[in-house]
Amino acid sequence: MAAASTATASADEIRQLRDALRGMLGTAEQGAPPAPDAGWRSGWPALAEMGVTSFCVGEEKGGFGLDVRAAAATASELGAALHASPYAGLVAATRALSASDDPVAAEVLPAVLAGERVAAFGRIDHSGRVARVVDGAPDADLLVLARPGDDELVLLTDGAAWSVDTSLEGFDVSRTCGDVTVDPSLARPLGADPVAVQLHRLLLAADAVGCVRRMVDRTVAYAGERVAFGRPIGGFQAVQHRLADHAVRARGMALAVDEAAGSVASASPGAARAVAVAEVAVSASATRVLHDLLQLTGAIGFTWEYGLHFFERRVHHDARLAANPRAAVRALATIEGWTGAR
Amino acid sequence: MRADAEVEAFRAEVRAFIAEHGPALRAEGLRVPRDADEERRIRAWLGSLYEAGYLGGGWPEEWGGRPDHLPVHDLVVMEELIRARAYRPLDQVMLAAHEIIEFGSDDQKRELLPKIRSGEHVWCQLFSEPDAGSDLASLRTRAEPVDGGFVVTGQKIWSTDAQWADMGVLLARTDPTVDRHAGITAFVVPMGLPGIEVRPIREMTGDAEFCEVFLDEVRLGSEHVLGEVDDGWRVVTSGLASERAFVGANALQLEMMFADLVALARAARLPDGSAAIDHEDVQAQLAVALARVEEANLITRDTVERILVDDEHPSDGPVAKLSYTETNVALCEAALELLAGAATIGEEGREVAERWRHDFLWSRALTISGGASEIMRGLIGRQLLGLPRA
Repeated sequence: MAAASTATASADEIRQLRDALRGMLGTAEQGAPPAPDAGWRSGWPALAEMGVTSFCVGEEKGGFGLDVRAAAATASELGAALHASPYAGLVAATRALSASDDPVAAEVLPAVLAGERVAAFGRIDHSGRVARVVDGAPDADLLVLARPGDDELVLLTDGAAWSVDTSLEGFDVSRTCGDVTVDPSLARPLGADPVAVQLHRLLLAADAVGCVRRMVDRTVAYAGERVAFGRPIGGFQAVQHRLADHAVRARGMALAVDEAAGSVASASPGAARAVAVAEVAVSASATRVLHDLLQLTGAIGFTWEYGLHFFERRVHHDARLAANPRAAVRALATIEGWTGAR
Repeated sequence: MRADAEVEAFRAEVRAFIAEHGPALRAEGLRVPRDADEERRIRAWLGSLYEAGYLGGGWPEEWGGRPDHLPVHDLVVMEELIRARAYRPLDQVMLAAHEIIEFGSDDQKRELLPKIRSGEHVWCQLFSEPDAGSDLASLRTRAEPVDGGFVVTGQKIWSTDAQWADMGVLLARTDPTVDRHAGITAFVVPMGLPGIEVRPIREMTGDAEFCEVFLDEVRLGSEHVLGEVDDGWRVVTSGLASERAFVGANALQLEMMFADLVALARAARLPDGSAAIDHEDVQAQLAVALARVEEANLITRDTVERILVDDEHPSDGPVAKLSYTETNVALCEAALELLAGAATIGEEGREVAERWRHDFLWSRALTISGGASEIMRGLIGRQLLGLPRA
């Protein structure tokens, strides 16, 4: 287990990081979201140079320690930009690689941090052969897979060690995904790393928060401009009050994710609970809020081009990747002692 | 670190004080004494909180404030009262004190503030009318200027505690010819004046906590005007009581309610004899409730952090109120669902179940009074989101 981070970013630094990312990702301006970019890897080394791949990597391995708040802010901005990288899993993988003393892990890590190679992260079944719904698997140069239950991880670095079936996934059009079949004889055990698994789940929730935040902002702007019956529709209570509710809910889920990020970063005993709470907070609202924003946007929102659906698809997929809320509810029931407690 | 230790020492002192002297709160929202003896004890209790410096610590020192007062002390006092389920200070008394301190004449301060501190004066608000609730500025009670004062005629309603209040802050229209916000004056009114009739209203909980108040040619002197004539709107919208950090105690309230929800889920038995909490759907319900509580409490803490450094955004209060009160309702709804699905409630859960039934009914008082949720959403829409007035 890594010790608490020695170099976490301040609130001001997080704000600067967000601003810089919005500039680079083209999300500083409101308006139409970018179409998903299949050529994302060409721009990835530049983002890596900003440090986004290194927030959860020990300083002795060239990273920033365990700056989960910075990673969560990044995940949120990448979500808002519909970025095609498998960022949540990539950060979880870098954490696992840097915390392990496996020599191959140490060898592959620098190229991942530099943005030259891409690591994907997923859950493998107990046979050690099948990992379903792995974010970024089709593009990945290496895989880190976690076994549910004990968080034991394996590393695969040789492309011949796995194959990817992409035929079943395609709802989220902003990222790639697939079911992975693994040759277990080529998998290197990395040991157990619950923090890596927590990071994966938390950053997926952060991704969804970024999606919600950007679409709330966009819909508020739209409601302030779009005129019907002689006035901006944002002046009608039926619209304004729902936007107020969504803004409050967006703030609540963002705070829950931030709280959990701080908790994981400081290796707090409450970290597992905080991550599960953040996941439930996001899953209970994110999809619902986005679907209602679409209603408030009207027919233009229903078009492919307007793009609100990209975010709905992505937020749903964030939940699916983390098996949220079911896994989070089970985790909370255990942590809180709601099961077998008589 | 030192400051934290001081706050914790203050907390321990307050906790011990409450344990020794604090009368129990019968149930959420119930505070009108049932007999003279109870009234004596409550007034003595409220007075003792001021005397100990646990209430009114933030007042100007010449009126009894503490030189060593910190806003976080207010939060600690309220948290400890909630934790002990003890009788809590009356919000409209604190608001009246705030308005008198801000707008009162020297005579009014000298006369009225000490009686608040001693528990001698309980205050009510004479604001809402049958046709002026959320739209308070449409109020019609008239204060007709006459020689040496005013004659007030009209009807007020939803005045909490009016049946045992000694004083009321009254809003009445002094100039019907100008803009509706401009012609309103605030008054301090002794509730025993001739022409004032108070009729308690029985609420859906079965209790009578608020009242109708009829004003029939009530004579007021110019010494009863609070602030300037025709400037009453500013007096009552001047902001929250100095004890605004009290809002932070909502977090503890929700935590205690969530603990009650889990206790209920353990005590509730399904027809097959199993405990509700052993079922996955109930656990999922608890998880969602917990997430809502944590979200609301993070919003509250975020707000309090800004209150404590005097850096609030105008929308912070509405966001915190909406999220607290709506979460309160959601918890009550979850509890009622659990109760509805239970064949029996174990002995250990009877008290909790009784509390939930009351709290469910009471939760609507929170989303209606003190600015209904719809008013909060409008404020958030305009002040936070920059949307046009609806």
